[in-house]
Amino acid sequence: MQRPQQRYRRRRIYVRRKICRFCADKSITLDFKDADLLKHFITERGKILPRRVTGTCAKHQRRLTNAVKKARIMALIPFTSGHALKD
Amino acid sequence: MKLRHYETMFLLHPELSSDDRDDAIEKFSSIITHDGGQVVHTDKWPLKKLAYKVQKQTHGYYVVMDFGAKSSTIQELTRNFRLDERVMKFITTKLDDEFNPEEAAKKYAEAEKEGESEAEPSSESSTEGKEEE
Repeated sequence: MQRPQQRYRRRRIYVRRKICRFCADKSITLDFKDADLLKHFITERGKILPRRVTGTCAKHQRRLTNAVKKARIMALIPFTSGHALKD
Repeated sequence: MKLRHYETMFLLHPELSSDDRDDAIEKFSSIITHDGGQVVHTDKWPLKKLAYKVQKQTHGYYVVMDFGAKSSTIQELTRNFRLDERVMKFITTKLDDEFNPEEAAKKYAEAEKEGESEAEPSSESSTEGKEEE
């Protein structure tokens, strides 16, 4: 007889807990002027990536969104790829 | 009135000459200093490509100013940014409620020291006028 427990275990995908980059490296300061850093946290279309994707902690995600929004206002990163300039 | 620590970033029109840009920067820093404020550092970025078109321009010069000022100064500064046609975009953020000139200057002194050890050593600097070298 097959044990249900085993079946369950096989289906489960192991996800590694991501660590917040800003907590791990205290030397990085979240600054809206640092467009190269913020680019890691937005999609190709310019949307802000969710915490579940990047693993950022709640505190830093809040600061990150504010930084991204300021950077968008200053034309450092695009609001959307539709208006972005081609390289 | 108490000074607060602010940071302003503004975007200057790409067709401005170097003198015109210095003139604009001088104008805005004098607004701050005339009202009892103190400019700690002015950072002029080279011509940079924008993420999207602003006033039909694809490039622009960014300037970052770190300063201490009264909250009423910011209103005056913002009014001038809006009126000045050389400025395409601007943003002012409050870094701290307290302004400590020594502490604010320390950050730039350290960064400068690091840069000196990497690149060629440059001459001594005061709180301002470092970038013209």
